[in-house]
Amino acid sequence: MWSYALKRGGATAVTLVAASVVIFAFIHLIPGDPIYVLLGDTATPDQVDALRRQLGLDQPIIIQYLRWAAQALSGDLGRSIFFQAPVVSVIADGAETSILLASITMVWVVLIGVPIGTIAAVKHGSWLDQGLSGAAMLMASVPTFWVGLYLILIFAARLGWLPSSGYPSIFEGGIGNLRYLILPSLTLAAPNAALILRLTRASMLDVSREDYVRTARAKGIRPWQVVRRHILRNALLTIVSAFGFTFAALLSEAVVTETVFALPGIGRLVVQSILRRDYPVIQGVILVIVVLYLAINLIVDLSYRLLDPRVELQ
Amino acid sequence: MRSRVGALMRGAAAMIVALFLTAQAHAAGVLREATIGEPPPLDVMLTTADVAAVIGRHIFETLYALDSTYSPRPLLADSDRVDDGGKTIVITLRQGVLFHNGKEMTAADVVASMKRWGQFGARGKLLMGNAVSVEASGKYEVTLKLSAPNGAWKSLIADVNGGLAIYPEEIVGKAGAQPIEQKDYVGTGPYKFKEWRPNRYVEVEKFDRYVPRKEEGDGFAGARVANFDTIRFVPVPDVATRVSGVQAGDYDYAEMISGDLFDELSADKSVHVVRNNAPIFGLFFMNSKEGILKDNYKLRRAIQMALDKSQAQRVAFGPKGLWDAQGSIFPKGSFWYSTAGTEAYSQHDAKKAKELAKEAGYTGTPIRLLVSTNYQAHFDEATVFTRQLAEAGINVQMMVVDWATLLKMRGQSEQWDIYVTHHGFQPDPLLLTFLNPTYPGWWDNPEINALRTELTNSSDQTARKATWDKIQALFYEQVPAMKVGDAYTYDIASPKLKGLNPNGPAFWNVSAK
Repeated sequence: MWSYALKRGGATAVTLVAASVVIFAFIHLIPGDPIYVLLGDTATPDQVDALRRQLGLDQPIIIQYLRWAAQALSGDLGRSIFFQAPVVSVIADGAETSILLASITMVWVVLIGVPIGTIAAVKHGSWLDQGLSGAAMLMASVPTFWVGLYLILIFAARLGWLPSSGYPSIFEGGIGNLRYLILPSLTLAAPNAALILRLTRASMLDVSREDYVRTARAKGIRPWQVVRRHILRNALLTIVSAFGFTFAALLSEAVVTETVFALPGIGRLVVQSILRRDYPVIQGVILVIVVLYLAINLIVDLSYRLLDPRVELQ
Repeated sequence: MRSRVGALMRGAAAMIVALFLTAQAHAAGVLREATIGEPPPLDVMLTTADVAAVIGRHIFETLYALDSTYSPRPLLADSDRVDDGGKTIVITLRQGVLFHNGKEMTAADVVASMKRWGQFGARGKLLMGNAVSVEASGKYEVTLKLSAPNGAWKSLIADVNGGLAIYPEEIVGKAGAQPIEQKDYVGTGPYKFKEWRPNRYVEVEKFDRYVPRKEEGDGFAGARVANFDTIRFVPVPDVATRVSGVQAGDYDYAEMISGDLFDELSADKSVHVVRNNAPIFGLFFMNSKEGILKDNYKLRRAIQMALDKSQAQRVAFGPKGLWDAQGSIFPKGSFWYSTAGTEAYSQHDAKKAKELAKEAGYTGTPIRLLVSTNYQAHFDEATVFTRQLAEAGINVQMMVVDWATLLKMRGQSEQWDIYVTHHGFQPDPLLLTFLNPTYPGWWDNPEINALRTELTNSSDQTARKATWDKIQALFYEQVPAMKVGDAYTYDIASPKLKGLNPNGPAFWNVSAK
């Protein structure tokens, strides 16, 4: 297991270097320029040149990359052009929101997706299954911005039970600030829970056709024990890998939800930085997201073995 | 097992109850404003971004400020005199004005700020382009010498947006072309910079040692009294969330609400609608430097003749109360309002346009229209006009890019024939971008140059108005840009706020009932 982890770690490092080159090249290939965004529409060519020189953006792209890579290796991702703050602290601030939001969403996803998916699989073909699958389809198809805006309208503007938007850090306002994340996490959970629900149902149906399940039933084991010990446990392998990628996607791709709820998360940070061409932030955030995906990939692979001792890691 | 589950359930229930009960009481004296997005650095001298100016206006101040009729009134200045036929301007400063770092503002700070503004400021060249010297002629007196008089000088230094904000000399000295650092956001305003949390908020707090002017507050001019301890500017990019946020009481004020919500919100008792008193206007710039439209005034007139500007504005801004399809560059009621040339503003005559285009030698070559989707109104206007021009046989090819790309591309004359932007209200014609010969569009020929010099060098307002009439007539004859029409943006506020500023979001002199 440890040699496997080491081998995977090496491959991960190579992927990381390749990714960093691609990220850097692509970002600088997009037309547009932070200088014009910064100075606004009345900037003269002299002013543009002067600022470009001061920010080091007049250097050849290779030099800019090497300089950035060398700094990144020592943990310094540079300074944001627009926030005038170190990229690391800008990302850390966004990461708190994104990690908490993704975690709470995952709780909803697991609480909704797995039990209901199990029920749908056990009762497959019945009206209950049809109804649950139909509801899941609906949840997956409704756009998140629509769900978000309606939740705000009902629970914040009309009923006044929950805050409409924003998220003050729990480190400043205490654990109570998690209430700011209830509506956004429900919004995000809707399509993702539907996905997990359908996945649970499908993989449980697959497993229930296996010979060992028939054998277990023939031995007279109680139906719910067959479902719990034999079907669900084996179906979990597929579901867990979906958990990993859903979590990673929630961290980096919750842009629409973060925008609707004005949350200071990573998704919104990266989109906004692309629009303003804040190169250091885009490079930093994408690098962090790549690292995250690689790490989650690794953890998911390693967790297979814990779930199913038959899986061999090579 | 059962008791463990029970304990877990009880714990979860307790946590949920706690979450609801810890509803944080909002600290007294905090005003929360929902802005349209994250600002660029608040070095207002360098940037013309409105979102930076709205926040920066609370921190930094200018020598003059615009009152509710957009006339400049002294703010940091006390008095002024003009000598040498308008070429020497002597400004006496108010005494006892403190920076947020406790230092008194003197002529040395103003001189240093003026020099940086002239070199790097977004609108600095308009005044300082003709500066021969600027020096402190006393502890509280600044003398600016110009090579030619400038009739608009006071208006040019009366707002922070790309304008001459006064910073301490030592901070100006180390900044240069680069935006000043957050720790150096030191001004003389009624609020001082406290903290900037990326994507969360920018916070300013009351400056206790601020000494307001004696005159009553009027627009941005006169006394500024900070009634709130803190103002928090929160970026809320989604307009529906800004609206719900004010309705829910999470924000006290929200900027830039979309036109389609205007009627509904005007009838909503939980919010107060604040329509800005000065309109913005859409502008379609023609390329005067290169390409098919260069010097071909007839073809440009044909393009303008084909358009129905009301239709574009209805699509872009919604209810009639929010727009006015009128051709004067300045709105009705303004000193600079003029009807010269406006008969050509919105004729919507496809047949005549087609004939005129033919006379101009147009043979159907695609005309490249550069537009961004970041501003929905720009895109809506461009879409309507493209269809109207097609009816007149004028073939327009829309090039849709994002705003950052457009800003760069429009500087490259070979890339486009027309591009779309908009212009904020300005107190003086000299601040209009299309009058600047180096601004993309490059309206630069002997006729306009002569009129521009006449407008700049005269300080007699009646004579300047007569020159402006001639310029507007030339604007419709040569069509360096096409005005779409006046559009009034609006904000919403909590009904408990009193004393809202008619010039836009500025929260000194505002209080909660």
